[in-house]
Amino acid sequence: FLGAGGGNDIQWCFSQVKGAVDDDVAEADIISTVEFNHSGELLATGDKGGRVVIFQQEQENKTQSHSRGEYNVYSTFQSHEPEFDYLKSLEIEEKINKIRWLPQKNAAQFLLSTNDKTIKLWKISERDKRPEGYNLKEEDGRYRDPTTVTTLRVPVFRPMDLMVEASPRRIFANAHTYHINSISINSDYETYLSADDLRINLWHLEITDRSFNIVDIKPANMEELTEVITAAEFHPNSCSTFVYSSSKGTIRLCDMRASALCDRHSKLFEEPEDPSNRSFFSEIISSISDVKFSHSGRYMMTRDYLSVKIWDLNMENRPVETYQVHEYLRSKLCSLYENDCIFDKFECCWNGSDRQVEFLSLCTPDLSNIVMTGSYNNFFRMFDRNTKRDVTLEASRENNKPRTVLKPRKVCASGKRKKDEISVDSLDFNKKILHTAWHPKENIIAVATTNNLYIFQDKMN
Amino acid sequence: MLGKGGKRKFDEHEDGLEGKVVSPTDGPSKVSYTLQRQTIFNISLMKLYNHRPLTEPSLQKTVLINNMLRRIQEELKQEGSLRPMFVAASQPADPLSDNFREAQPAFSHLASPPLLPADLVSTMPLESCLTPASLLEDDTFCTSPAVQHDGPTKPPPPALQPVKDSFSSALDEIEELCPAPTSAEAAAAESAAHDSKAQPSESNIHKPEGLPESRTAESKLMDPLPGNFEITASTGFLTDLTLDDILFADIDTSMYDFDPCTSATGAASKMAPVSADELLKTLAPYSSQPVTPNQPFKMDLTELDHIMEVLVGS
Repeated sequence: FLGAGGGNDIQWCFSQVKGAVDDDVAEADIISTVEFNHSGELLATGDKGGRVVIFQQEQENKTQSHSRGEYNVYSTFQSHEPEFDYLKSLEIEEKINKIRWLPQKNAAQFLLSTNDKTIKLWKISERDKRPEGYNLKEEDGRYRDPTTVTTLRVPVFRPMDLMVEASPRRIFANAHTYHINSISINSDYETYLSADDLRINLWHLEITDRSFNIVDIKPANMEELTEVITAAEFHPNSCSTFVYSSSKGTIRLCDMRASALCDRHSKLFEEPEDPSNRSFFSEIISSISDVKFSHSGRYMMTRDYLSVKIWDLNMENRPVETYQVHEYLRSKLCSLYENDCIFDKFECCWNGSDRQVEFLSLCTPDLSNIVMTGSYNNFFRMFDRNTKRDVTLEASRENNKPRTVLKPRKVCASGKRKKDEISVDSLDFNKKILHTAWHPKENIIAVATTNNLYIFQDKMN
Repeated sequence: MLGKGGKRKFDEHEDGLEGKVVSPTDGPSKVSYTLQRQTIFNISLMKLYNHRPLTEPSLQKTVLINNMLRRIQEELKQEGSLRPMFVAASQPADPLSDNFREAQPAFSHLASPPLLPADLVSTMPLESCLTPASLLEDDTFCTSPAVQHDGPTKPPPPALQPVKDSFSSALDEIEELCPAPTSAEAAAAESAAHDSKAQPSESNIHKPEGLPESRTAESKLMDPLPGNFEITASTGFLTDLTLDDILFADIDTSMYDFDPCTSATGAASKMAPVSADELLKTLAPYSSQPVTPNQPFKMDLTELDHIMEVLVGS
């Protein structure tokens, strides 16, 4: 039961951790995206080695009502391979940038996965029966001598060990000159968009040999380029509306009905710069790394380097709420620029939407009331829009036994460090949580550290 | 011969270096602002030019770094040349790729350091990015409250005058040591906006336009950044540079001219002679004339072709 105003804050407990234990991280194992499917039964991760691993939640055991089902490996497949661009003499990384699930229409599951250049539609299907009793073949496949066949029988399906197969059904290639950063499935479930640094294309899921370019911000002279597209998403309900964010901290809302090429935005969301916070790095830290609509589509959330902002789609000149993720880094921006951490792209996500409590929720009209995002030192943060309380938690193998409640962490910005606080200078900037996901219906969250996937649940009594 | 030679205060710089609100008009922190800006400029150049990925570099990152560099260039342009801004040694060599990258081993530690926030704040940027002149700046400008943003035509405020005198006279002496053949070359590369600065080296220092040496350095800062967005291979940068860029703007002999002075400034100066030396060593075989420090580089087109071949081939 999500905290519907005045309710108790969620108490998060460690549930599971997936991935290698050693500190030596293989480059290919670095997790690059995490996504629950629409029911929450499946949890997909993509990694730098181009692989997709799908976990499936166990069916809840009626006798063990104190914990929700565990996630176990369901399917693993190689989605993308490294390629070589001969024209530019450069490698094309196989790293999976994004995974998006399609809603389930039949027994099989479908997802879109993309690297920098190519999007693929994968079908994941189960096989748990196989035909047995062929007349001309033995069970092991050898052909029988026809002269030994004296009777005929009809082969029947017998159960077998579950086999999960992944097969690529569509490959959407050669439409992006620059690196794809986002894919978003339209609410019509027939089309989707893919966005790279300078262009956004609209595809039909059935058609792979062409796409429509709907946004193009490439200047005639590339030397004049000062702004790139950083993320894009379709509106959850309006199939002609989408937004895209930029490296200058702006979000543009576009309506595809207005024109074929949506170069003119319908709305431009931008917060004027706070002059007291001006620094050399103002532009870089304003660059938006992720944008997510709320469940109703009335709000959207953006993540920039230091904060999360909630925007009301009806108000363009400033966000309605701003949450500071790690303000203590503001005085370290020069170092973070030098070691490139300032370019880290943190994602953000909303809590799941529980339809059952929809009519009970009196506070926020669209159930999107908690925001989650990652930080450094394997910390991640949650902000409750109703209570205005926030918490910092850590994803770590230490001190994490199943069903023990996570202890809130605190970073000491300056001055005397209290017990249990961590000083800014002790933070490990190599341990960053960029990708997090929230189960669509339950209070289960998936948090990706560099090469491990942590699953936390709320404490059920 | 040089300025007062007062010790720079380490802690002050540490504070100023990290992005707190440091406006150019703050008193003692104006130096910090300059240092910070210089450091960030150098770091930005490093990121653009020292990065040789196997995969295409992130366009977003490139654009953001480019914007940073442009902004700093704009700021410097607006400030005019009231405060001679000597560019760190990394710049002359940068666009010309491989040879010069190798010539600056001291920069390699900046390319991908593990983050030690305290270290990065304290020692690295200062030691490796300070130029001799910025040390001079530190001594002479730490008491000056204001910086001219109005452009080169406005006369400097009275407060700056006495300070400038000692600085400018020091530079005068240096100039006498090194006749300025570079002023002719640099003039050739100048855009129209800088015409007023093409003065003979003995020009009146009190004019806001400043010195040819500084102008040479500044002209490099003002150069349009190579459009490196369409990166093909490591040689991609070369295709965007004009011959002028290579011949005149990016080979900074003024740094070399300062050689007698740099040795007096200690550890921080080791960047300058290294790059200029390496430059000479690399180019000497291709030059039919003996290359002396005080002569401009005069290269035939064929010799340049030869160099290009070597660079492209590497």
